[in-house]
Amino acid sequence: MERRLQQLFFGLSILALVLIVAAAYQANTPTWKNYQRNFHQLEAQGEPNEVTKAAVLATPPEIHQVMLTGLQRVDRCTTCHLGVEDPTMKNAPEPFRFHAGLGSHVPSKFGCTICHGGQGLATDKDGAHGKVDFWPNPLLSKDYVRASCGRCHKEGEVPGVPELTEGRHLFETQGCRGCHKLNGVGGSIGPDLTAEGANHRAPEWLERHFLAPNVISAGSAMPNFHFTKEQARELTYYMLSLTSEDMGTYYSSVRSIPGPAFGRQLFIEKNCITCHNVGGVGLKSGPDLQGVTKKHSTEWLDEQLVNPELVYPGSSMPEYDLEPNARKALVAYLEVATPEDVQLILSNKTRALTPQDVAIEAGKQNFSRFGCVGCHGTELQGGVANPNAQGGEVPSLLHLSDDYTKDEVLAVIRNGRVPPLDNPNGPPPPLYMPSWKHVLSDEDINRIGDYLWSKQQVKKDSW
Amino acid sequence: MNRRAFFKLSWGTVGVGALVTALGVSFAAILRFLKPNVFYEPPQAFKIGTPGDFPYGAPMFLVEEKIFIFRDREKGFSAASAVCTHLGCTVAHFQSDNKFHCPCHGSIFAADGSVQHGPAPRALEWFEVTLARDGQLRVDKDKTVPPTYRLMV
Amino acid sequence: MNLFREIWQSIVRRDPLSTDKGKSELVFLNVWLHIHPAKVKKENMKFRHSFYLGFITFFLFLILVTTGIVLMVYYRPYPSAAYQDMKDLEFVVFMGPFLRGMHRWAAHGMVVCVFLHMCRVFYTGSYKKPRQFNWVVGVFLFLLTLGLSFTGYLLPWDQLAYWAITVGSNIGSYAPLVGGQLREWLLGGHSVGEAALIRFYVLHVAVLPAAMILFTIVHFWRVRKDGGLSRPIWKLQDPKPAQLVTIGAPAAAAAPLQTVPASSTKTYGLMEVVTGKPIFETVTPEEEEDTVFSYPYAFVREAVALMITVTGIMMMSLFFHAPLEELANPAKTPNPAKAPWYFLGLQELVSHSAMLGGVVAPALMVLALLAIPYIDRNPSRRPNDRKWAIWLFTFFVVVNLVLIVVGTFFRGPGWALVPPWVHVTAGAE
Repeated sequence: MERRLQQLFFGLSILALVLIVAAAYQANTPTWKNYQRNFHQLEAQGEPNEVTKAAVLATPPEIHQVMLTGLQRVDRCTTCHLGVEDPTMKNAPEPFRFHAGLGSHVPSKFGCTICHGGQGLATDKDGAHGKVDFWPNPLLSKDYVRASCGRCHKEGEVPGVPELTEGRHLFETQGCRGCHKLNGVGGSIGPDLTAEGANHRAPEWLERHFLAPNVISAGSAMPNFHFTKEQARELTYYMLSLTSEDMGTYYSSVRSIPGPAFGRQLFIEKNCITCHNVGGVGLKSGPDLQGVTKKHSTEWLDEQLVNPELVYPGSSMPEYDLEPNARKALVAYLEVATPEDVQLILSNKTRALTPQDVAIEAGKQNFSRFGCVGCHGTELQGGVANPNAQGGEVPSLLHLSDDYTKDEVLAVIRNGRVPPLDNPNGPPPPLYMPSWKHVLSDEDINRIGDYLWSKQQVKKDSW
Repeated sequence: MNRRAFFKLSWGTVGVGALVTALGVSFAAILRFLKPNVFYEPPQAFKIGTPGDFPYGAPMFLVEEKIFIFRDREKGFSAASAVCTHLGCTVAHFQSDNKFHCPCHGSIFAADGSVQHGPAPRALEWFEVTLARDGQLRVDKDKTVPPTYRLMV
Repeated sequence: MNLFREIWQSIVRRDPLSTDKGKSELVFLNVWLHIHPAKVKKENMKFRHSFYLGFITFFLFLILVTTGIVLMVYYRPYPSAAYQDMKDLEFVVFMGPFLRGMHRWAAHGMVVCVFLHMCRVFYTGSYKKPRQFNWVVGVFLFLLTLGLSFTGYLLPWDQLAYWAITVGSNIGSYAPLVGGQLREWLLGGHSVGEAALIRFYVLHVAVLPAAMILFTIVHFWRVRKDGGLSRPIWKLQDPKPAQLVTIGAPAAAAAPLQTVPASSTKTYGLMEVVTGKPIFETVTPEEEEDTVFSYPYAFVREAVALMITVTGIMMMSLFFHAPLEELANPAKTPNPAKAPWYFLGLQELVSHSAMLGGVVAPALMVLALLAIPYIDRNPSRRPNDRKWAIWLFTFFVVVNLVLIVVGTFFRGPGWALVPPWVHVTAGAE
């Protein structure tokens, strides 16, 4: 027995030796080493100089890592993707191929996962591509990878990605904000979308959801907006770009801040001319903006754009949801704006704006911006299903003047209204009119009233 | 010895040998485990820009990388370390005498990096400069070269 | 050559191991080995008596300490770094996955083995006089094992870790009066966060291991002083008083004990001369016959148990990858959120009644365990004489196991009862 036990002990020692050697061997032969060896062989093929060739073939294997502290990530993709910055590898097989068209967005400065997704920390193929359990952010397919541009390029036209601008535009005009908050502004009926891109939902799911919300998300109160496939894709791009990562400070430099040209674009887009004038050209409800950059510091102007009421309590200037670089661009434009240029902008409008027009236009902007369109429709037609509300749907606003005075309507906008129940024992309807008095100023609400009243359809038999 | 004794001996020897080897391999494995495979630091080899970014004559000082880039009209590029070999302060290069001066203890290095004056024990290091395939210059601080090294572009 | 011999003999001062004296000195002159008795009883060392569970638990602890210390080099206990360090261990560190795997499987193994060891001690009645206090020390070691496993569970900072500890600490908060305070003291805040992680880390690498070592020292010491490993059940018989052998002075002069002449081949130790009642050992003749030197009899068996434990854990690590889920996300609760498996029985109870499952049941269980040696008035260790005790204990063990099995395999989203062979989709994600 004792002999047997001794033999067992020594047998187990041999087993332990075998196991530790196996573990060490496994640790020493990761797949990335093979990829590196193959790459060096590829490099050596084209190398005429024998000495350099030998040196290349003898390069010790090591993990390549791009450390991006500002983006809080570490990317090890270049451990296998060794040719991404090497133009001579244009025709090399993957994973060694050169990545064309990057411009300044080279991996050594940006890493790879910020655009492509995947798991930068990993050093094996499936792990790095994120195609493993418990990594919710796999590589974005070719169809969607350009959406990542919007993670940094949040304003203006994004070169090569018109889907982003379109998607953003759709979001603002289709009334999404009526139910969804974005950057703190919007309704609470649906989920907050500020960081929707960080929820790691599959792009295909997002697209299907836009085309048929109720089918994809059972029990959802989101109406079907009847988007085209293209529009659904554009909106998906926009959603994917909403990762709310703070990258502005890390990557912004003087060169990449959009200049006065972009500022001018914003000036037109945001309709500043409906209240302001430059050297007398434009409207007079807000102050003259000529030379304003000489009167006030850039910080003051920036603050004015962020929170007009902080600088001028009681101001009726709306809060615009502008990124820091967009605000810088606007101020840059104001520095060079001339009355002649503004005249040019105005002349592009189809007719001269009277104060009444201004109010209605502003009201229409508000109606769209704050998402009223989402439930009440772009043509005020209503019709969105609202189960167990009287009438079964969101009412049309085209005949308000038949039943209400303007003041009554303004009161409803201010205080909100829960629709009366069709069946008092049934569940409350999912949609309701929110109270806007804490979000909109009285001025803004009045303008919405003006807009609504300008759209009223008079009954045929009324007189 | 007889066959029985031989087997007894070899069982024991192999066993003890396996145990000792297993312990040795484990110890070596722990040491290898402790050796870092990645460094959470700026890389030792990096690209500094295209040749056109660098002027002739006065060297360009790269602050974070702590190197001087020299561009000679005839001979080409070279990269010198700006870290004084005495106690690690950053030296300055003066065009007036084409020498490196260390502000901490007064060491002076000649144009080729050799020590002319002061407590520094060794010459300044020169690093390998190569041309990467995308046309950028690449400095590798892990590879020291003699002061006469130049990269002709 | 004489110099080498001199150096060797200055370090190793015992007689050669071929002599009895040398075998004894190997044990009692050696600091690492002298917790062992110089001699053991062969029957007590049989596998089917103790299954070596105590040894295995201790060896697992040694594996945990060594792998743990080594892993500490690459782990930073801050939410912003912990998960990334786990990924680094998996992808970038030489033998990272192997060592992490060894640590995790040894941890699970230790919880299982300490429980099995407790069961074995109960079933062999080895907690009875004079070993009652050592049982109590053992219960504390069991609780420390659970504590170490629980604090270690949080460190990877993944979804599994975060929510298991959230649920676990919430179960604890149901304790009356102190529950809320206890939770806040443990977490360093109102919910699991940065403060909780560093506290759990300090507990896991310093406080609890130190406590474990201290209690282990007491536990091993008591094993020795209580008379070594207990006699196996199959050797338990009432020895006729006349058969008992006394070594030393008899307890009472009236007892008609047979004395056996001191053997000329044995050495008996005289420890010290003091006043008071004499210390003596009473054994049966067969126990006396059964005694052998610890070297090599006990040591080779311990060595085999050590090697089985080590190679077993190495193989577990090589073949079964230790899991790492997504990064901890306080905003996203997995459905269902489960405590570590050894607390799932409690979670199952808590799902029926918070007071019952979170407070009453665990408190009663611990108190009952601690009280066993003192409530049990039956001096006999033979199974036939203690059927009630055995059935009662088995009942509670089985109930616990069933609760854990139900909690692990039969509870799905929303804590609904779903058999494991039915696949349930939890929602749009």
